[in-house]
Amino acid sequence: MRDVWIAAAAMTRFGRRSETLVDLMAEAALEALRGAECQPSALVVTAMAPEEFVGEGNFASHVGTYLGLSHVPAIRVETATSSGAAALYAGFALIASGFHNHVLVLGGEKMTHVSTPRVSEIISRVIDPHERSYGATMPALAAIVARAALAKGLIAETDMAHVAVKNHANGARNPYAHFQRPVTLEEVMSSRMIADPLRLQHCCPISDGAAAILLTSHPTGLKLAGMGQGGDYLAVRYRSSLTGFRATQDAAKAAYKMAGFGPERVQVAEIHDAFAPFEILALEDTGLLPPGKAAKAIQNGELTLEGRLPVNPSGGLKARGHALAATGLAQVVELAWQLTGRAVGRQVNARVGLAHSIGGMATNNWVTLVEQVA
Amino acid sequence: MEISGYGSVLSYTTLMVAPEGFKPPLHIAVVELPGGARIFCHGKETRALKIGRRVAIEQVDGVFYFASLGLADRLALFWKRRGAAPERTKDAVKSAVKRFFSTYQNGGVPPPTEDGPQTSEEEKTVPPAEKS
Repeated sequence: MRDVWIAAAAMTRFGRRSETLVDLMAEAALEALRGAECQPSALVVTAMAPEEFVGEGNFASHVGTYLGLSHVPAIRVETATSSGAAALYAGFALIASGFHNHVLVLGGEKMTHVSTPRVSEIISRVIDPHERSYGATMPALAAIVARAALAKGLIAETDMAHVAVKNHANGARNPYAHFQRPVTLEEVMSSRMIADPLRLQHCCPISDGAAAILLTSHPTGLKLAGMGQGGDYLAVRYRSSLTGFRATQDAAKAAYKMAGFGPERVQVAEIHDAFAPFEILALEDTGLLPPGKAAKAIQNGELTLEGRLPVNPSGGLKARGHALAATGLAQVVELAWQLTGRAVGRQVNARVGLAHSIGGMATNNWVTLVEQVA
Repeated sequence: MEISGYGSVLSYTTLMVAPEGFKPPLHIAVVELPGGARIFCHGKETRALKIGRRVAIEQVDGVFYFASLGLADRLALFWKRRGAAPERTKDAVKSAVKRFFSTYQNGGVPPPTEDGPQTSEEEKTVPPAEKS
């Protein structure tokens, strides 16, 4: 297996964007290719539901043609809300296997032009049919997980609020974030209830955006050190535990094994905080914090930009935003910027970063490790 | 599917923003039935629910509903359990005392279960989900 390196990383600002989906994807792709020393010989494209959101199909070719790369072979990858990480994995495999030397991985989603109930319905299709037939939405399933974690004493309601406050504080310093304003603890805890115990300010927004990463077999100093994937039952009710995600645990184990090091070397993390309690659970599932310690770490401020382990310096899904298929890539873009000293306004001191992405209700999760070598 | 009429709560939520075809507040519980089958079900409220608590389950028009178990229902369930009679009686009394106090603490409403099963007609006739 060959080593895989990041040659360039770029993203659009996330948020409510007026451009078309392909325009957003082109913005990220052209920025990544600008000044790059190599041109891609393959294209991996991802968008979770372009057929539904923007009415376009044959999407890999559509994007390739729009970029002027019609003759570059293109595939589309999809694993629900972790599609960006899955696309990165496909690009990683194309290079590690020796099939290609330079691969452009490109993800985007455009949703804000669609009504919220409709967006919610389209996203809900990732849920098990029995559960969906009872009105279970993503916030509903997340609330069921949060309720179980609260009952077990793993988290408290104030911990969930602290996650949102921290990530908004980081987002306020990120010019690419959907929300660039801080929120207070009171604001979070008094925001309207969405799915008891989850309030509006515990939930990530619906965002538009795109992100692109150019991978290469030529050493650049920024190494994609390890990637792991984990799966679980589509049905949340049949999980062995509701208060941790096996898919994350398996993905983390696989990623550490590939990288040849463990969580102790990770100095910055981008975590899939689609719902605030997920950040706390993921920190333990990935082994970044010992079981039962994550809530305490957030209370003690250990996860802020100045803390021992900065988590979601970008603002996370909560503040940077969640443009579905772009998110898994945007997390790695943030790590690339952080590890090369280009995270203006929110720079942390780190050489190893971890990105964690959840697909569906934790049915197809990914952990990616990026390392600055020499 | 044949169901046994009761199960224990794994988790629950109340949706204040319901998807198309449902009206908020939408009460959902995840319940494990004896034998291990797990189902989602609707109910009238989640206020009295606790994880691990037993609830009555009824299927109406293919939709599962949960309802809180009254004192008489609990006694009957304890009696059906295997084990020595004194043990069962002790558990049943413990459960009844716990329920009495928790009801008093949760809003000061006197326990309604002293004089009969609480799984009243009113609770059982939750309307079927407003599915379009």
